Amino acid sequence: MANPMISRLTALPSGLRVFALRRFSPSILTSTFAPNSQHLAGRRHHGTESSSPNAASSSVNQTEVSHFNTLASEWWDPHGSSRLLHLMNPLRHDFIRQCLRQDASHDPSKKIRYMDIGCGGGIFAESAARLSNTASVTGIDPTPQVFAVAKRHQRTDPYLLEKNPETGEPRLKYLNTSIEGLVDHPKETNFDIISLFEVIEHIQRPSPFLQACLQHLKPGGWLIGSTMARTNTSWFTTKFVAEEVLKMVPRGTHDWNQYIQPEELRSWARTQPDLAASSGTGWHVMGVVYVPGLGWREINGSETWGNYFFAMQKRI
Amino acid sequence: MASPMLLKRLLVLPPALRRSFWSSPSRNQQALPEIYDVVCVGGGPAGLSFVSALKVHPATRHLKIALIDSQQLKAARGQDETLFSNRCSSLTPSSVRFLRNIGAWNHIDESRTAPYHVMDVWDGVSGSKIHFNPADDQSFGIADALAMLVPGNRFSGGRKPYTTDASGEIIATMCENTNLTTALLERLRGGDAAKLTTMDSTKVDSIELGPTPESEEALDLSLWPVVTTSQGQIAARLLVGADGANSPVRQFADIPSPGWDYNQHGVVATLDVDQSFSQHDLRTAYQRFLPTGPIALLPLPNKKASLVWSNTVQNASKLKQLAPDAFVAMVNAAFRLLPADIDYMLEHTDPSQLVSEVSWRISNTTASETGMPSTLPQAIGVQNNTAASFPLKMRHASTYTGHRVALVGDAAHTMHPLAGQGLNLGLADAEALAKKIVYGVEHGMDIGSCWCLDGYNSERWAANNAMLGVVDKLQKLYGVSSGPVVWGRTLGLEIVNRLGPLKGALMGAAAGSR
Repeated sequence: MANPMISRLTALPSGLRVFALRRFSPSILTSTFAPNSQHLAGRRHHGTESSSPNAASSSVNQTEVSHFNTLASEWWDPHGSSRLLHLMNPLRHDFIRQCLRQDASHDPSKKIRYMDIGCGGGIFAESAARLSNTASVTGIDPTPQVFAVAKRHQRTDPYLLEKNPETGEPRLKYLNTSIEGLVDHPKETNFDIISLFEVIEHIQRPSPFLQACLQHLKPGGWLIGSTMARTNTSWFTTKFVAEEVLKMVPRGTHDWNQYIQPEELRSWARTQPDLAASSGTGWHVMGVVYVPGLGWREINGSETWGNYFFAMQKRI
Repeated sequence: MASPMLLKRLLVLPPALRRSFWSSPSRNQQALPEIYDVVCVGGGPAGLSFVSALKVHPATRHLKIALIDSQQLKAARGQDETLFSNRCSSLTPSSVRFLRNIGAWNHIDESRTAPYHVMDVWDGVSGSKIHFNPADDQSFGIADALAMLVPGNRFSGGRKPYTTDASGEIIATMCENTNLTTALLERLRGGDAAKLTTMDSTKVDSIELGPTPESEEALDLSLWPVVTTSQGQIAARLLVGADGANSPVRQFADIPSPGWDYNQHGVVATLDVDQSFSQHDLRTAYQRFLPTGPIALLPLPNKKASLVWSNTVQNASKLKQLAPDAFVAMVNAAFRLLPADIDYMLEHTDPSQLVSEVSWRISNTTASETGMPSTLPQAIGVQNNTAASFPLKMRHASTYTGHRVALVGDAAHTMHPLAGQGLNLGLADAEALAKKIVYGVEHGMDIGSCWCLDGYNSERWAANNAMLGVVDKLQKLYGVSSGPVVWGRTLGLEIVNRLGPLKGALMGAAAGSR
């Protein structure tokens, strides 16, 4: 599935391509998971089964890698297609802080190790690495172009190239790998926070994917992400407006049927023996809405029809 | 690696040589500039308050900050209570609140400041009066009151409600600029403020973008501003231009700063007056609009007052050359005589005759003719060497921010002093920028990026532009000595406002008559 898609993408003008690639990359992540009969996975009936991930990534390697210059400037272009993600980024930190504040087991004096899955050009990963209470950040993305964009942008900030003087670990490192590829990096485990921002709506089988993420979390750690609800509103904004009217996004980038409702996510979390999602403090959700002229705002209750953040804690 | 002897010999060399000596053999790459989070060029009130705000906030105190100024930054507050500097500013309550918040107000010598509570403003041509007392309406500040003088203005900036404490009725507080900068320097050097690299008496030789990286993996500073001074090169994550009207930082960032000159000079001086401003419960500041420019008498402690007299370039240079007693006589004349008399005396009266001429004319002019307030003190002397002047102009940078650059204070805007707002806007810039940086640091932003700085620009540019517009229009409106504009002024603002379509014509006439 990935092969022809990527070559079609490279034929697009660069602005569109960036958007498409960014949106598309996480779906490569998913392709490795064998069908698993968790109930979330069972509900997802559509989508052709994917080819092997290695084939996908090697094909990516063969397509033009030389465009990452353009890609880099587009990704970080203040008026480029990632603008909304840049504007949303501070809210991600506010949400994480809110979760940690309510977590009695969290020791604020201990520095946090992050892994950002589907890190893209590094919008969240860079910002997390700059925080004073961060020990280190590992950003992973399986798409070579995207990995190159992130690496390239990291070089423009000396702070992000430093090692953390307390741990000797790099403050920020990127790995060009999918989640299952982390077996080759045995040290990349036991994270305090694993983030999945705007990733799971691209995942065909979220259940095994989320389970794989949990394996890299330390006990008491948090799996935190954002996505959008599957409603008429989100169909209208992301499928109809973005793909059909404005044509900002290549048709078929989003699969609306793959969107997940917060309640579905929560009932899945409750079935997971690893998660503490049935307790009041082990699960959080926050609805956010982009208001033109004002930016992203937290709107109570909007999680059921718009974008939302979720957080689930691994059992201690 | 190097022996102590070699090191010692190297240290004797000038820094530039030493660096090239040291770096070229020891490492096989060019020396990178030292990296700072914030480099602030300019140690005036805006720059110092900005740096102080960062250094006292828990989120930003750890930032590596360099402050560069071409002059020596030393505590230079006047000690003699009978002598006051001629460079004074009216600090608005919101400026004072900001200075309190960053812990600088404690270091102000309050015995050298003078809060005032009432402003008497009158039209030199028509005599119509605006007696402005904020106690009447708590929601108005000095800026709003002045904005009310401009028919049809839409000014809405700076409308911060007054606090209800003892300072509730204060319009503004007169404070010497040296008193303020000394307080800020003391704040930075003492107490809990984190350390800062101060490079004073240091000229900025050049500002350029950093070197292109040597390899695909190496650190890339090619979009970082690098400031070269006699002390070496430093790279700035964020370069702040608090470097005045001719800002080198603004030039580096290639930000245009359009505007115009008023063809006027502001004459300042420290005056002795016959009655202390504080003998009444409420201190009053006085301002008269004359066709040649406004003249203001602002209270200082101990029977002293600060003069700001905007006048034509020719008149300003004549005034500065007058003997002290003639200068004092002209100041009194400017508040008390008809505009025609004032012009006539400056142009035709022999300077040695001025004192007697003025007193004769004052005795023959009634206050009802000129609209002079009865409480206006009389000037009786001028402090030695305080009469000075500076050119007046209007400039507004088209934006306050660029990639890794932000402008504050006079580097961003220059305005006519008639509303005493210039320094207050600079402090408001400093406060707003520091706040954005705090937010940026708390959310992991690169504080030199547009994601961190955009909000500062949108917040301050609009507010300052409104103020600049009001002040500029006032200057033009009251710079007219006859004709429909004066009738309009006299008729009162409400009526002018109701004239609707005429309003535009009046403003056009005001602008065209210059």
